[in-house]
Amino acid sequence: MEQLDTITVECADAVGAKATRILIQDNLADLSLNRAIGRLKVFMDPVESVFIFAATLRLGTPAIKLKDFARVEMGSLGRDEVRIELEREVYTVKLLNKLWERYGKENVEQPDKKVIVVKTDPVKEVDALRELVIEERQQEILDRLIDAIALRIIPEGFRVRKHELSTSHVLFVASEDTLKPEWIKKGKDMMDTLRREENA
Amino acid sequence: MLEPVMYEGGVYKHNHMVELVEDLGGYILQKNVLQTGVVLLMLVPINDMEIVENKARDLLGKVTRAPLTGTEIATVAPTLAYHHLPHLDCDVAEFLRKKGAKTNMIGLARGVGKRICQITAYERDLINEHDVAVFVLGNYEHCIIEKSKRFYEGIEIPIIVTGAPELKTEDVPNATAYVGNFGRILHHMRHSEELRTLDKLADVIGNVLDNTRMEIAKDPLAVAPPRIKKEIEEQVQEIIDSLHPLPITLQMNGARVKLPYKEYHEQIENIKFVEGVTMKEVARVLPSKMRDFILIKALPRSETGFVI
Repeated sequence: MEQLDTITVECADAVGAKATRILIQDNLADLSLNRAIGRLKVFMDPVESVFIFAATLRLGTPAIKLKDFARVEMGSLGRDEVRIELEREVYTVKLLNKLWERYGKENVEQPDKKVIVVKTDPVKEVDALRELVIEERQQEILDRLIDAIALRIIPEGFRVRKHELSTSHVLFVASEDTLKPEWIKKGKDMMDTLRREENA
Repeated sequence: MLEPVMYEGGVYKHNHMVELVEDLGGYILQKNVLQTGVVLLMLVPINDMEIVENKARDLLGKVTRAPLTGTEIATVAPTLAYHHLPHLDCDVAEFLRKKGAKTNMIGLARGVGKRICQITAYERDLINEHDVAVFVLGNYEHCIIEKSKRFYEGIEIPIIVTGAPELKTEDVPNATAYVGNFGRILHHMRHSEELRTLDKLADVIGNVLDNTRMEIAKDPLAVAPPRIKKEIEEQVQEIIDSLHPLPITLQMNGARVKLPYKEYHEQIENIKFVEGVTMKEVARVLPSKMRDFILIKALPRSETGFVI
């Protein structure tokens, strides 16, 4: 797995900073997020109780369509069916669920491990099936990212939170007390620095 | 005085060891058979340790001192969220279990935060029913110290605190002992360094328990907790059908019996010892905060005037 470019934890408590760094690495590895994060910076002040988490994201992978991992053809001559030959089995479960939902279980057959036959009008459906979106990678990664940051990394007592999330960056400011404007400003500054570093 | 020890050896002839310890007036607390090996947790009269050690040598087994044997330890996490579980908290609980203690994991409702942490009366009473409480705290020195100032209010049993920084026990307010190098760890503790930290925790808890044992020895209990266990097993048949783990859990000054209080407390209070006394004369039978179990606390000699 690719390592993160940089991961910095800024904290007056050196031992705490080291422990937090390991904690973040463990979490990102657990949720397979190492590839999704470009640069990551954390600021923590235990005395003032503020935790700022800023990261640039790389959600490069577009949505995965059926044609990306399978051959979709018309079935045997004279029959109303579409034949799908899988090249990779990773997405089979998700694909079957989508097909069942769309055509009904009775119209989807799997005569072989890598072959799925859908009983439907092939002329109309072949092209639509080829473009069928099986997995929304970006959304899934974002979901996992929120899980990692909000539910695992930020100290649990820090329940007052402000966040920004886009496909290119994520920023969390969390505290036990009311958020001060300077913390949010600091978060935004950290985000700008990260962006500059990445573009440099 | 009874010495808590662990015997590790083969299954073959291990009953010789069991019989020897029983003949010497000791108790077998737990027996775990693991394929061809057996682990016995037992209490042996301190003067007869040599005989037991010799027997172990004959059987090619090993006797080690296990100060955590026969104790019930509470592992307390600020909450039951992913921040603390399953790693670290479960690792600590599991490790102490391997060392012979019965551990209960307690997740507090509002134990998080430095300023906002709270502990309810129910949680406090529940923790107080144990021999020792291990509070598994986080990464930052300032937070651990600030939190410790108020967090353990009302907890009367020894408090062991764990966290990431290396602090001296006297720096952590209200703690009986502090063990560093833990913190909020989100991976399974299995590296040699981490296992050494766990070993250190077990040693610290062992010392704390030994101190408590010495305190108890100054005013001995009227009835030894393993004796309570033995009599209940013999006189209350229903305990055999209890599916709870360790239906009678030993503590240093009593036992937790996993039977409903309402139905069984009278029967237990009236258990007769061969010395001619009943349970209620030598121990208090109380309702436990844990489910509807029974908690038995042995009375000291200063209250009863005799020891059986």
